[in-house]
Amino acid sequence: MTRLTVAGTLEALEAIARYIKAVADRAGLDRQTAYNLRLAVDEVTTNIILHGYQEAGIEGQLHLCACIEADYLTISVEDTGMAYNPQHSQAKALQAVQQPPELRSIGGLGIFLAIASVDRFTYERVNGFNRTILSVNIASSP
Amino acid sequence: MKIMNINVKTVGDITVVELIGEVDANTAPEVQQQVLPLALPQSKILLNMSEVPYMSSAGLRMLLSLYRQASAKDGQLVLVGLAQEIYRTMSVTGFLNFFTTCETQEIGLELLR
Repeated sequence: MTRLTVAGTLEALEAIARYIKAVADRAGLDRQTAYNLRLAVDEVTTNIILHGYQEAGIEGQLHLCACIEADYLTISVEDTGMAYNPQHSQAKALQAVQQPPELRSIGGLGIFLAIASVDRFTYERVNGFNRTILSVNIASSP
Repeated sequence: MKIMNINVKTVGDITVVELIGEVDANTAPEVQQQVLPLALPQSKILLNMSEVPYMSSAGLRMLLSLYRQASAKDGQLVLVGLAQEIYRTMSVTGFLNFFTTCETQEIGLELLR
């Protein structure tokens, strides 16, 4: 189990990407699965930074934690920004990705992609924390 | 700080834009700022992404803005050399339904001529 704590600003995305790559390497993920996990975590953390913190005028940190359990590599992301349930926007986004370009809204794609890129995605609000948990199956990697 | 290189040149009447680096929430605004003004009336734009190993939804938003700008001005846009993972991202989000993509710059230039 390894952890990473960074400030909730866009500058942190690079450190987060490095962390996820290292963890994916250690877990032996194949290239596509490692990319998908990096993409999902990037989208989730970007969303927290821009909407949970910056837009809400809140300052805080991001706590990432990686663990391997029963064939799954799981990344949990905790923040103290605005409460936000990513899964609520999924139905709307699902409709949006079928739209022609002129009717598409410019936002909402990130969380849609995050959910579509991992095997399990959960969100919970606990004691003033947002906790987003993303898992990918290690066994499906060749 | 992440570095994104954007090279612009013209081949005949085609504007060739080469992106080098990762497109994410940090770099997409800069790409958008530099590339969007290139979508002039009836312009032909080839966006070469062979040297882009990673693109998040921030890049998709940039591409959607560029597509709209080009369409509104009766222009044409071709994306070249998408990494396999980026191709998947564009497929999942339905972007491949309306973007023209191809593998090499030569084919891209041919499509725009």
